Amino acid sequence: MAVVTRTIAAFFLTVLCATALLGAAQAPPAPGQPPPRQSEYTPIDQLPPQDQLPAAPLLIAAYSFVLMVFFLYVLSLARRLTNVQRDVDRLGATLKQSKS
Amino acid sequence: MRAATVCALMFALSPLVIASADYESTMGLVQKIFYYHMPSAWMFLVSGLVCGVASVRFLITGDARHDRTAWAAAEMAVIFGLVTIVTGPLWARKAWGTFWIWDARTTSSLVQWMVAWAYLILRKYGGPGSEKLAAGLALFGTANVAFIYVSVNYWRTIHPPTSVVPKLPFTMGFPLWYCVAAFTLLFIVLLKLRVRLEEQRATLDSLYLSMDEQG
Repeated sequence: MAVVTRTIAAFFLTVLCATALLGAAQAPPAPGQPPPRQSEYTPIDQLPPQDQLPAAPLLIAAYSFVLMVFFLYVLSLARRLTNVQRDVDRLGATLKQSKS
Repeated sequence: MRAATVCALMFALSPLVIASADYESTMGLVQKIFYYHMPSAWMFLVSGLVCGVASVRFLITGDARHDRTAWAAAEMAVIFGLVTIVTGPLWARKAWGTFWIWDARTTSSLVQWMVAWAYLILRKYGGPGSEKLAAGLALFGTANVAFIYVSVNYWRTIHPPTSVVPKLPFTMGFPLWYCVAAFTLLFIVLLKLRVRLEEQRATLDSLYLSMDEQG
């Protein structure tokens, strides 16, 4: 029971931390406001590193994450199915032996 | 097995199909996350619906097959929800300038994902009788599905409205519907496998009971 309580407590603690982190993220600019007028053009590589946000790493991260999640889930499902099938076969054989 | 092969082939070809899609004028490359984000979000909602409908049927008939379907669908909701909740912020970081906003859709989606988690935790640790409690929880989740879908049309948000999809040009619509088909097939294959796992567990339980009876 202590394990169950610890698991549930750990889950809710994780959710709370994630919520706090997400809440701390910067709010977006209000929709409908026009962007400020530009007085000069700046090449993107002259921006400070935190303002250079290329799309490719985000795109690659998103697609990699999706494929990894499904791959791991299929592996977990296959492992659980194999284990249960093995137990069913073992118990079935034991029952047959005890009947005969 | 054939459906799983077709599904794997569709996912293997999906990068080519997505690469052929036109770039969106304001978001550019990062908008291509849409082609995995939206189908997974739809499957997330479908999982919630399947879980709710199966739970209602279980509560009415008491048939364990519906309970097994509901349990499997709840696990699908956690998996597809995780994909939706992670890919969305990666897209939003570039498109909106922030990973997360507490608008109606993102908040209700997070609630839906936590309801699916709660269902699984209740089933795992709730003990005897938890299946009926979990079925009640699934009904709450199903009511939330409709709210998530229409939220962007009724509340102020920077999520695009639901009318965006029907208005997509063919060059963007074809990759989207291709990915929707691939994710739907994946959902069906995974759901069937997960239901089979529950069936095998039920067989195992009945075998243990038979052994106990034999002494």
